[in-house]
Amino acid sequence: MNPSLKLFLILFISLEITFTSKLWANIIIILVALALLAVHHFSWRQFCWLIAIPFLPAMALFITISFFSPDRDWFYGWVLVSRIYGYVSLGTLFTATTSQLALARSLEQNCHLPSKYAYGVLAAFNLVPRIRQSINTIYMAARMRGVTLHWWSPTLYFKAILAAIQWSDQLAQAMESHGFVEGQVRSFATVITISKKDWLLLGGIILAVQFLVIALP
Amino acid sequence: MAKHQLHLRDIILLALIGIVFGVVYFAAGFVYNGLTVLLSPIGYGPMANDITIGIWCMAGPLAGFLFRLPGSAFLGEFLGATVEMFLGDQWGAATLISGFVQGIGTELGFTVTFYKIYNWLTIVMTTVMTTLVTFAWDWFKNGYSHFSGQMIIILLIVRFISVFIFSGILVKLIANLLQRAHVIKG
Repeated sequence: MNPSLKLFLILFISLEITFTSKLWANIIIILVALALLAVHHFSWRQFCWLIAIPFLPAMALFITISFFSPDRDWFYGWVLVSRIYGYVSLGTLFTATTSQLALARSLEQNCHLPSKYAYGVLAAFNLVPRIRQSINTIYMAARMRGVTLHWWSPTLYFKAILAAIQWSDQLAQAMESHGFVEGQVRSFATVITISKKDWLLLGGIILAVQFLVIALP
Repeated sequence: MAKHQLHLRDIILLALIGIVFGVVYFAAGFVYNGLTVLLSPIGYGPMANDITIGIWCMAGPLAGFLFRLPGSAFLGEFLGATVEMFLGDQWGAATLISGFVQGIGTELGFTVTFYKIYNWLTIVMTTVMTTLVTFAWDWFKNGYSHFSGQMIIILLIVRFISVFIFSGILVKLIANLLQRAHVIKG
């Protein structure tokens, strides 16, 4: 499916399950998302992570709503648990089946996002491992001088931001020296289109979700 | 910085700031889980969310202070969330929506000062706006409407304090350092 439409669909369903409280609709959405993930060769370990990570916050909400809220509403407790798992499985389905490059290209070509945003963010994304490394270096350098930095130390952020400023300068220069011009008409190496099938799929899924939400408790 | 528009370099920098905060958040993740475990048995599990919310909202106000342009606070927060979503943050699409909501909240704080004032007043305004907007979102998303009135008020106050400490005081301290280094013009 076209990445932009897929993103829209995921956000649409996420918003819809936020403003409705339907347990069965949520459960079916989760099961469909998990089934699609299984088709995309999602490993067992990844499934375990998917279940483990939201477990604590989901349980906290459930306990609070079911035992401590004035209504002691068990049904609503389960709705909230299923909602959290709904967000997570939908989000994972999106990130597992879409590459950042495809999304950036699609947003630029299909949604007319200015190319400086599409490629600027993509360029920054590729620096993630270097940022991790650099933050570690800042921690280590401080420790060598007998200073322990914590995640709440302003100095840590200050130094990391200085590094980020330098990188953004260099990256922007590198992109411009390779011929990137803001706001210029661009030709595309890979053309991404929205086919009729994509639109039909989008409409079909949205209709199906409406049906689930209205028909089931 | 006498500019009226964000350029390629600025957009890369905004996304990088989002990543920097995102990387550090991972270290703070255990705080959230620990608090959740501690608070759940007494019925205040969701309070972990309110205690830590200020940590997740730091990129926005910092970007606002750094660029001093309309939209920069929103983009700082939202681009950070976008990157986090792909970093394997398991919250998935909800991260994107939360980033959007937090970005709007922070941006409103700068809007009410007309992007002219950058001092403690701005910090207070962004704190108030971020608290209210994110609380309204959690009202629907995490079912806050089902809690008792007393608990809602406590959660709101805790959230305000959290945003003020992390997205307020800590961001201002970082901005002060950047100002002393002449990265931000005073």
